[in-house]
Amino acid sequence: MKLKKLSSLALATVMTVSMIAGCGGGSTGADTAASTDTKADSTETTTETTTETTTESTDAGETTEASDTAEAAPEADHSELYNVEFYDVAANYQGDQPGWYGKIVQDKFNMNLNIIAPQVSGDGAALYQTRCAAGALGDLIILDNADASECVESGLIHDLTDAITKYPNLMRYEKQIKDFNSQVGDGSKIYCIPLEMNNNGPTDYKQLHVYSYPRMGWDMYNEVGAPELKNLDDLLACLKQIQDAHPTNDNGDPAYAISLWKDWDSQYMENVAQLTKWYGQEVNGSVLIGTDNSIAPITDKDGAYYKMLKFFYQANQMGLVDPDSATQDWNAIVSKMQDKRVYLYWYSWQYGFWNSPARGEEGTNYVEIPVADTNLYQASDTYYGDGRVLCVGSQVSDENFDRLMEFLDWYASPEGVQIQHAGTEGLTYTIEDGKYTLTEDGLNRFSAEVIVPDELGGGNWNDGNNQINQWIVASCDVNPETGEPYASDMWSTTIEMNQTKTTKEWSEKFGAADDVEYLKNNGMMTVVPSINMALAIDDTDISLIRKQCGDMIKDSSWRMVFAKDDADFDAQWDEMVAQLEGLGFEDLVAFDTEKYQPMLDARKAAQ
Amino acid sequence: MSKKKLYSFKLFLLVLPFIILVLLFCYYPLYGWLYAFYDYKPPRTLANSAFVGGKWFASLVSSKVKMKQILQVLKNTFAMSGLTLGTSWLPMLFAVFLNEIRGVKFRKFVQTVTTLPNFVSWVMVYSIAFSLFNSTGMMNSLLMKLGLISQPILFLQSSSHVWFTQWLWLTWKNLGWAAIMYIAAISSIDDEMIQAARVDGATRMQIIWHITIPSLLPTYFVLLVLNVANFLNNGMEQYYVFQNAFNKEYIQVLDLYVFNLAMGNGGYSVSVAISMLKSLVSLVLLFIVNKASKIIRGESIL
Repeated sequence: MKLKKLSSLALATVMTVSMIAGCGGGSTGADTAASTDTKADSTETTTETTTETTTESTDAGETTEASDTAEAAPEADHSELYNVEFYDVAANYQGDQPGWYGKIVQDKFNMNLNIIAPQVSGDGAALYQTRCAAGALGDLIILDNADASECVESGLIHDLTDAITKYPNLMRYEKQIKDFNSQVGDGSKIYCIPLEMNNNGPTDYKQLHVYSYPRMGWDMYNEVGAPELKNLDDLLACLKQIQDAHPTNDNGDPAYAISLWKDWDSQYMENVAQLTKWYGQEVNGSVLIGTDNSIAPITDKDGAYYKMLKFFYQANQMGLVDPDSATQDWNAIVSKMQDKRVYLYWYSWQYGFWNSPARGEEGTNYVEIPVADTNLYQASDTYYGDGRVLCVGSQVSDENFDRLMEFLDWYASPEGVQIQHAGTEGLTYTIEDGKYTLTEDGLNRFSAEVIVPDELGGGNWNDGNNQINQWIVASCDVNPETGEPYASDMWSTTIEMNQTKTTKEWSEKFGAADDVEYLKNNGMMTVVPSINMALAIDDTDISLIRKQCGDMIKDSSWRMVFAKDDADFDAQWDEMVAQLEGLGFEDLVAFDTEKYQPMLDARKAAQ
Repeated sequence: MSKKKLYSFKLFLLVLPFIILVLLFCYYPLYGWLYAFYDYKPPRTLANSAFVGGKWFASLVSSKVKMKQILQVLKNTFAMSGLTLGTSWLPMLFAVFLNEIRGVKFRKFVQTVTTLPNFVSWVMVYSIAFSLFNSTGMMNSLLMKLGLISQPILFLQSSSHVWFTQWLWLTWKNLGWAAIMYIAAISSIDDEMIQAARVDGATRMQIIWHITIPSLLPTYFVLLVLNVANFLNNGMEQYYVFQNAFNKEYIQVLDLYVFNLAMGNGGYSVSVAISMLKSLVSLVLLFIVNKASKIIRGESIL
């Protein structure tokens, strides 16, 4: 009796507590279901706009293709369900691949992709270390270049040298794969498959939009008189007017010009690092690399990191920064964007959270608003890969190895790539006379809840989307079956569909077809060739310094955004610089300067 | 084998499982101390790492900033442990007053309500804190609706009174639980003493002051001594969930500092070095307290 009483009491408490906690989650708008797409890191330089896809067209095609090559791929045995542990630094989702994409993989390969996502697990570095120590990172592994080449040296990665030649789809990217692997280990073997490769050429820039640039709602910009923006002060003034006119969204929730999030921070404040590109510098580790191939420490007071940090600080002084910025996470931002509670975007793929042709026709789509003094640092399409690689774990059995390679080959095949970038035929797009056209559902798949029929896997389209979140082949690569890029927003039909009131008015005002053209014509952008190299790896001394300095820079940056006044801001900056010096920052900068030199050399050679 | 030997062997077999457990869980992990002397960085194995001797110990004090950082961390550790230690009489007082409540139902209710938070994990405590104190949370909504403030106050981002607020959270969570020991001790006080005092005309306060509290003091001292030995171990969960860029300087205690350093990019060896030093200091503290207890109270606890 007593026990019963006690347990009911305990239960009641737990429920109360979880209720309170649950409410909290709701009020900040964290919505895991909406968690989406593309975590970008600053070394990543592609414009991964929207994830798009296609379909079941060539099931049998592959096997015939395979037999064309000198040595056929080994026949893989699909009789048993294979639970693939997929260690994936790019994933924003942890657990079994659900929904329609999971069903495709299951039907084709009888595989279940169990995604292990360090970004989701909370402490990614800890997860990485424990799994490495256990000697098995995963069956399939996606890692940043440097980590991967370390894992190769530690024997955690499977040798692909002999196997890979049997897989025709992977071999289409042979040059890039060999190029990259020549820097790994002793250079004679193949261990890693770079990601986001294309065959368009090393200095090509095919994207419709630049990667990072100020972007605002076209209606709002016009509402405040479409002011000409000469510099960041004008930008802030414009945002201020917008926010004053719309302190809340239509539902009455508070809205802010700028909303930040901290979960993507590494050794610096990621939000700041994305904005440094507007002024010709990209943050890499502890240094800023310029469009002019210069290298300066991140603490350079004339550098873009200081400038953009100050930009956020000034915005906060003007009341433009969401007060939840320092404590909320990316998922909270997603739902805020969908509710139009954020007025400034910078990533091109953020469009996916609001824009649609219908809204474009209303004139409320977000678009690039040129700021005259910018010199955008825009890396070319990632011909050689985006800085991450895909590997197979060395502990995998021979049998499973064949199955994994078969899966990877499909993952790089036109069919596989089209599914990743545009979904499945019938549901998200239709084919007429060889032309692919997005359906209504296809158009809205990121901004609305698209329900997938049960026979295709059921559930919400977005939840069932490919949660690996990285592809071997970039969406800008050309699909040999259509002659058009895989990305659905680069299809001629979509481009036509996207000609809306917004784009027409934009083109009229700025006298260019799109932002890429405008920025190029006005000399406001520099396209630098993107180079994919496995650069020098930190030794333990440097990695300790990097860790300590990184924490210092991150924490100080956040405090500076919320500094009381100019004097406080500058005092904190000086304090940070002084502290960094004591932590050995100079050694770190020297190390990084040397580390990135080969990349700059390669870049100069490609220019 | 003689009968006596066989008997002692049997006894030994009885304790053997516990000896094995102690060896396994308390001594075997000490093998990890090796990492402090190597240039260890995952994913490489220890065998592949270079032996560096005392390098990491030296690096702790290699620059002024690092020393300042460690001093600040120690200061936080001592401040927060000190606050807890300095207020360790609170649960005793709470138990005493609780015992004075006449209504049994009300007393049980209070006791249960104060004990339950102990079973809520820190992560949950933080989400409660977050929903109460974020910019659109209950506290801010209330204050704004009352017209007391026009801008939300960012409570969780505040860098002032960190030690105190953290102590408050800890006390909220632990008070009832810590009082249980004293409640048990109170129930074992001889009723005759209290009856006799009453007959002699002692007031309630006098009974508390002259009978209840003196009877509780031995329990209090034992707990105090144990707490002192744990001075440096104030755990990290609480501080880990509450830490952010704004309060880090004051919230980072030794355990958290070690964790922050190790987990991330490869400060593994150096954090092992710090935690070794920590164990050493804890050991010294324990012996000092034990000695003090021997001198002051005439009995040692070890």
